[in-house]
Amino acid sequence: MKGMSLVLAALLASTAGAFAQANTDVTIVLGEELDLVEPCMATRSNIGRVILENVSETLTELDMKNGGQVAGRLAESWEDQGDGTWRFKLRQNVKFSDGTAFDAEDVKHSLERATSPEISCESSRYFGDTKLSASVVDPTTVDIKAEPAQPILPLLMSVLTIVPAETPIEFTRQPVGTGPYVLSSWTPGQSIVLDRRADYWGQAPAVTKATYVFRSDSAVRAAMVQAGEADLAPSISVLDATNPATDFSYPNSETMYLRVDTSVPPMNDKRVRQALNMAIDRAAFIGSLLPEGTEPAVAIVPPTTLGWNPDIKVPEFDPEGAKKLLEEAKADGVPVDTPIELIGRTDNYPNATEVNEALQAMLQDAGFTVNLRMLEVAEQEKLYSKPYLEGRPPQLLSVLHDNAKGDPVFSAFFKYHSDGRQSGISDPKVDDLITRATAATGEERAKLWSELFATVHDEVVADVLLFHMVGFARVAERISFQPTIATNSQLQLSEIGFKN
Amino acid sequence: MLRFARKRMLASLVSLVGLVILVFFLVRLTGDPTDLYLPIDATDAMREQFRANNGLNDPLVTQFGRYVWDLLHLDFGDSIRRARPAIDVVLEAFVWTLQLAVITMSLVAVSATVLGSLCAFWAGRLFDRAVTFVSLIGASAPDFWIAIVAIVLFSIHLGWLPTSGTGGWQFWILPVSVLFIRPFGLIVQVVRGSMIGTLSSPYVKTARAKGVKNRPIIFVHTLRNAMLPVVTVMGDQAAALLNGAVVVETIFGFPGVGKLMIDAILQRDFNVILAAIMVTAFAIFLMNLLIDLAYLLLDPRIRA
Repeated sequence: MKGMSLVLAALLASTAGAFAQANTDVTIVLGEELDLVEPCMATRSNIGRVILENVSETLTELDMKNGGQVAGRLAESWEDQGDGTWRFKLRQNVKFSDGTAFDAEDVKHSLERATSPEISCESSRYFGDTKLSASVVDPTTVDIKAEPAQPILPLLMSVLTIVPAETPIEFTRQPVGTGPYVLSSWTPGQSIVLDRRADYWGQAPAVTKATYVFRSDSAVRAAMVQAGEADLAPSISVLDATNPATDFSYPNSETMYLRVDTSVPPMNDKRVRQALNMAIDRAAFIGSLLPEGTEPAVAIVPPTTLGWNPDIKVPEFDPEGAKKLLEEAKADGVPVDTPIELIGRTDNYPNATEVNEALQAMLQDAGFTVNLRMLEVAEQEKLYSKPYLEGRPPQLLSVLHDNAKGDPVFSAFFKYHSDGRQSGISDPKVDDLITRATAATGEERAKLWSELFATVHDEVVADVLLFHMVGFARVAERISFQPTIATNSQLQLSEIGFKN
Repeated sequence: MLRFARKRMLASLVSLVGLVILVFFLVRLTGDPTDLYLPIDATDAMREQFRANNGLNDPLVTQFGRYVWDLLHLDFGDSIRRARPAIDVVLEAFVWTLQLAVITMSLVAVSATVLGSLCAFWAGRLFDRAVTFVSLIGASAPDFWIAIVAIVLFSIHLGWLPTSGTGGWQFWILPVSVLFIRPFGLIVQVVRGSMIGTLSSPYVKTARAKGVKNRPIIFVHTLRNAMLPVVTVMGDQAAALLNGAVVVETIFGFPGVGKLMIDAILQRDFNVILAAIMVTAFAIFLMNLLIDLAYLLLDPRIRA
């Protein structure tokens, strides 16, 4: 019997050896399967991590390694022609993976395809109500016109993935791009394989082949890297990030906050909103329920965003002060005893339930009456976006907001403008600042955004900003890879190196 | 026998039609897929366009009529999420589920029958107690925990087996073992109970008196009579496996129909939900038919 188990062990061990791979091949384990590989959907993080800049490239990209500057990718340079038109000079001698040459017609078609009403491309959400049209000047020059004028058009071009002009206007299952890799196989539910191209225009990356596999359980993703079955798990739970040699934290561009609907009493009283802010001991969460590296937030966008205002101070934890403010408000007839609903989302991040329970307890200690409800994503979304339900009780929505794009324009309107889909305030000064900042450029733009953040935080007290969150990646010791704020939405294989 | 099968098929078809109608309208009560498909900051124009492209603006009855008409042409519609035929998505996943269910249930059937019979024969002795103890733990331990512990032990510490995924035979060992434990624990107990009853019947005493040996008594004379309740429970357990093994699929990254269905429900991918329910329901109807036929084979009295 003993002999038999030894034979069995030897047999199993010998087959396990077959999992080893060539030195420059990597396996990456993601938490969410890709339901599509369509380039114009690459703004979805699960698709972006495979497709964006690996298979399909963009005219520009946000260079997070150099402070979030807009850098050229397929475009070499660009300039504002006035009248909302930007002229892009394109890189030459670039070939798609099907062998055809890249030129201005491809850019024009890619833009038309991404904004076509026939398919719901997600990248077009970044254009909002701006109408974009492209005209070909010559094969290496293209004009893109925005109506109304769009000062951050070069930044917007970092979400437009370029496909060949022949690509039909329907979701493709065989993406063709100019990137350093070509999608060579896709087995739904199991794996996606990218192979390095020999005819890429840029420098050849070190990784020759990348296999993506999908495991929804974080513990399994971490175990796969530990067991040598995978080289990189870009997102694991803090609970599984137990090995300092392989596990790295990175700002994941999510900001946690309590969205306050300021039209419902008692939230319409500024003192009540100030009391909410003072009641929460932000420092107590960090290193306990939330991982080390989490930062208290004073704006809805991460600190690497344009116009970040260093002068805004985190509200001090002062439950007594909060109680005093509530008493003052009560004396003025504000119904501060009205029960408030704190609405969280289950599994939104590790310890989501515990974090919301702690928030509830802290608010109650300061004199609020708070009931906690944990909902599924779709249920919470119903309460999160307009039109808000008639006759709703005062509600605090405990949510995360993601902006890794480097400019507040992707957050400000939705979260703070009177017409914003998820705005809880209606303030003429805020509306005006948003409108002006959206249309401004350069330093003026940064200044206006700074002013907006200060107004929203200190004057209006629009909401309860809580934390800039961190994510964790497990990186096998044989590869070198530094996760950044961009790792949440893309994962460029060219950034992976090998230690030996 | 054929008439019996035909009758059962017809009854099953009626249930299937009822199921489709019920599920079609119930899933639509969960809300609009647009809210989940498009990003939170999508413009109203994008939302409107998405609804129009996917026929979500039409009245429910019109949508149902279109669905039934397509269904009669064997078109199960497209998955909104995956932009390809829902039935392809479901069948791809169902093949994995079916393999997992067949392998697991075969192992369960053989091992539980043999061990359960022996337990009944040696009722109250050490062997019986040991098997009962293990099977009760198996029937009551949570499978997600067993799965994670198995990965830590066999994949990380011992390095014998892959943690998860699909591939050669070694990829099947952990998922099948984890799935095996619960139905095994249950069926061992059913076999044991049923056999103890049968072993004390007069015809067994007669056989013993005639000098028939133990092995033929257990496996030839009694087992067949004791199998009727066992087959019923096995059918029940197999049906549960055909519905997909969500926990095992999730942890081991096994592309089966259980996780597909849960994801489709969470994403409001109606056509996938419907196709998955129809495929699994059809498989379960087929299996029930087989069980009924097994009854006929096991017990001649039912044939009469």
